[in-house]
Amino acid sequence: MSARDSILARIRQNRPQASALPDIHAVPFIRYDKQFEAFATLIRNLGGDAVQLQDGQSVASIVAERWPDAGRTVDLTVAGHEEVDDPHAWHDVDVAIVPGQLAVAENATVWVSHPDNQFRSIYFLTQKLVLVVPRASMVDTMRDAYARIQMAEHGFGAFISGSSRTADIEQSLVMGAHGAMAALVIFI
Amino acid sequence: MKDDSVKHPQAAAEFLKDRAQAKWHDSAIWWVRQKRDAQAKQLPEWEELRRLAREIKAHTLSRLDEYLAEFEANAQKNGVTVHWAADADEHNRIVHGILAARQVKKLVKSKSMLTEECGLNPYLEQRGIEVVDTDLGERIVQLRHEAPSHIVMPAIHLKKEQISELFHKELGTEAGNNDPTYLTHAARANLREHFLTADAGLTGVNFAIAETGGVVVCTNEGNADLGTSLPPIHIASMGLEKIIPKLEHLGVFTRLLARSAIGSPVTTYTSHFHQARPGGEMHIVIVDNGRSEILGNEDFYQSLRCIRCGACMNTCPVYRRSSGFSYSYIIPGPIGSTLGPSRDMKKHGSMAFACSTCGSCSNVCPVKINLHEQLVLHRKKAFDQNLLPASKKMGLLAMRFLTQHPALFDLGGKVMRKVVPIIPESLTRHSAWSRAGRDLPPMPAQSFKELYQQRNQDKKDKEGKQ
Amino acid sequence: MKIGLFIPCFINELFPHVAMATLELLESLGCEVEFPMEQSCCGQPLANNGDSKGACDAARRFTDVFQRYDYVVAPSGSCVSHVTHHYDWYIAEDSAYQQLKPKVYEIIEFLQDVLKVEKLPKPVYFPHKVSIHQSCHGLRELHHASPSELMMPYHSRLEDILKLVDGVEVLLPERRDECCGFGGTFCVDEPELSTAMGEDRIAQHEATGAEYIVGADPSCLMHMGGIIRHQGKTIRPLHIVEILTGRGAGA
Repeated sequence: MSARDSILARIRQNRPQASALPDIHAVPFIRYDKQFEAFATLIRNLGGDAVQLQDGQSVASIVAERWPDAGRTVDLTVAGHEEVDDPHAWHDVDVAIVPGQLAVAENATVWVSHPDNQFRSIYFLTQKLVLVVPRASMVDTMRDAYARIQMAEHGFGAFISGSSRTADIEQSLVMGAHGAMAALVIFI
Repeated sequence: MKDDSVKHPQAAAEFLKDRAQAKWHDSAIWWVRQKRDAQAKQLPEWEELRRLAREIKAHTLSRLDEYLAEFEANAQKNGVTVHWAADADEHNRIVHGILAARQVKKLVKSKSMLTEECGLNPYLEQRGIEVVDTDLGERIVQLRHEAPSHIVMPAIHLKKEQISELFHKELGTEAGNNDPTYLTHAARANLREHFLTADAGLTGVNFAIAETGGVVVCTNEGNADLGTSLPPIHIASMGLEKIIPKLEHLGVFTRLLARSAIGSPVTTYTSHFHQARPGGEMHIVIVDNGRSEILGNEDFYQSLRCIRCGACMNTCPVYRRSSGFSYSYIIPGPIGSTLGPSRDMKKHGSMAFACSTCGSCSNVCPVKINLHEQLVLHRKKAFDQNLLPASKKMGLLAMRFLTQHPALFDLGGKVMRKVVPIIPESLTRHSAWSRAGRDLPPMPAQSFKELYQQRNQDKKDKEGKQ
Repeated sequence: MKIGLFIPCFINELFPHVAMATLELLESLGCEVEFPMEQSCCGQPLANNGDSKGACDAARRFTDVFQRYDYVVAPSGSCVSHVTHHYDWYIAEDSAYQQLKPKVYEIIEFLQDVLKVEKLPKPVYFPHKVSIHQSCHGLRELHHASPSELMMPYHSRLEDILKLVDGVEVLLPERRDECCGFGGTFCVDEPELSTAMGEDRIAQHEATGAEYIVGADPSCLMHMGGIIRHQGKTIRPLHIVEILTGRGAGA
């Protein structure tokens, strides 16, 4: 008998009595009157920032203003953006501007799963990550988010909240562990 | 790498010798508990979330074989190769087999307590594969040739001075520069090279979704993501209890995990892997290693609901004052103290006694495992299997006898009250009660029973006189 | 209404004044109290070390001794919690126990829930600062207060009963309900750890500025008292019944 079959057989024999699956939609979850404020306040504590696009601004202008001396910049939100044929080729990206599909108020995350992106390594290799998210896509909680997301990027998708972080050294919070050192969410 | 022969009482006493370090360890981890509380307070539905999580996991365990089969089928539809390992050895052989077949020289690894449980690192290293742990805390303990002391904060037992010294030696950082940001960024640069030159990446699995065949990995650092988006091979090792039925259930678990574990609303990255990256391949290794046995034990199967958040450790007053190295099992604290004895009573039975039964652990557990009760149930096993030290067993049998013979019990008490006050302090000082700085209580002249009898007698006398 | 007074073994030997205060408090509230002399240990130390047979025998004995009373009252949350929450592990099928179980009370529970005391029989003036020590089993098994880990409205039996005492100022330690480290035989299985936990807990109580640590479990008070005496500290542990019977200041 294969390991698979013997494991499944043992589980079948040993599994506990039937227990009902709860309805996770039956419980009221927190709602946010001011979703953007909740999101922005939180992300600023997580090595990130959030802004709403105003008239006369563009994503590019916001990014240029924030990081005037940016190095290699890749903008996946525009047509004809740079492409590579190897995930390692993104290793020296300084600013990556990527489309986010939705945002979650309770934890300042953005769901990233972009059908036109080949290599997800860009989200994690970049030094600064800019997420461009439609204003109307903000939801309150992860339960709302999971009802809407798709695995649209070669079977991959990630919730990203602020910059890469660690507190592994004496619980001191440091931004920029392995992923992006800074994160900016632009709501359009 | 972990010394599994440690016995908690002795190891804890040793840890406490450096009181300043022990106090710091306790307060650093208590702070994480406080952050957890602050997060939980913000959600009026917090206790309901715990209930939902418990029920989802309980249901899943009751149909675990079906969900595993569903998971496998869906993963395979996505082009993912699914392997099954009955035990730790088989897991290591499978992982090595995948790597060797592709001539992998360097593997980058994100945090996986399962691979610690299986002893994967030494297995691979002995066979010529370089293994780089990429979670900062894990990298630190890897360089120190130590085991992690906490399942979420592997290096919590270390001060920044110790890490600075380590990095100076291993990474060439400035001697004496203890700044956490400086040290972290030095590790970032060093590990980036490893990510870019690795041949394969291995991750653990926080949640495996039966409905979609995907696995979810949560990190704050992004190391799991770099480790799987760069090399062409992704191996995900999972304990078979990591299954949840549907994608929507993550809407409960992702709300509980980071809040319970680190007091943050969510980890920086919550990554969902369904297929290999373009040009790559993905493998999932499903590991039993004793879990299916625990599943059949009505006292302990609930421990399989665990989502490895570490909240129980953070709240445990014993863990905070003794550190992970006082526990013989790879996972310390309350959850380790039931999983360890379930795995090997002889080796890890003492962990079940390293507990004051305060019950705080069960109250913070996001999946409502009855942790403190399981420890007492393990003590039952220890007694029945004759694993208690002889002196303790004798004491208990004596107690058993005296409880049934109250007159003798009372006599014993009377003797104690008469004799203890005249024993010189130089002798009592070394008793288990006193030796760490605690005086014996003053011995009253009379027990309550004696006072009560006297009181009744006095009453009778009074009534008699009237 | 006849009350069977349950005095845990170590209170009988080492804290007879707490037992006496409990008896006098109940009598002064008009209760008929009997103390069955043949009572013995409730069996908790046996149970907590895995001796199922010993625990089972102790449970049956307790049931035999106390089943004839309308209520059973004890000045110890830990022992009451063992009787009411853990005897089911050993003698659940014993109908005499099932009938006895709902009648077993810890003293504060009894005062608040059965006697519904709104005024002390003899007014007590205790113009001192006290720091509340809510013991673990009373807290998490008898629900005497809201555990700090659970998201629920705050409540505390100890705080409530102290409202009946004149002049007392009630304070809470910074870690509201951290374990003091007694833990039954844990205190001698792991003396260093147990003592370290006790030291930390006493320091938390001292930091409130309180002169007294007040609790409802003599085991915790005995453990902290031993450390206090060893270190020559001035804060004093007191059992709640001592304060309620006006004995507090003399201690």
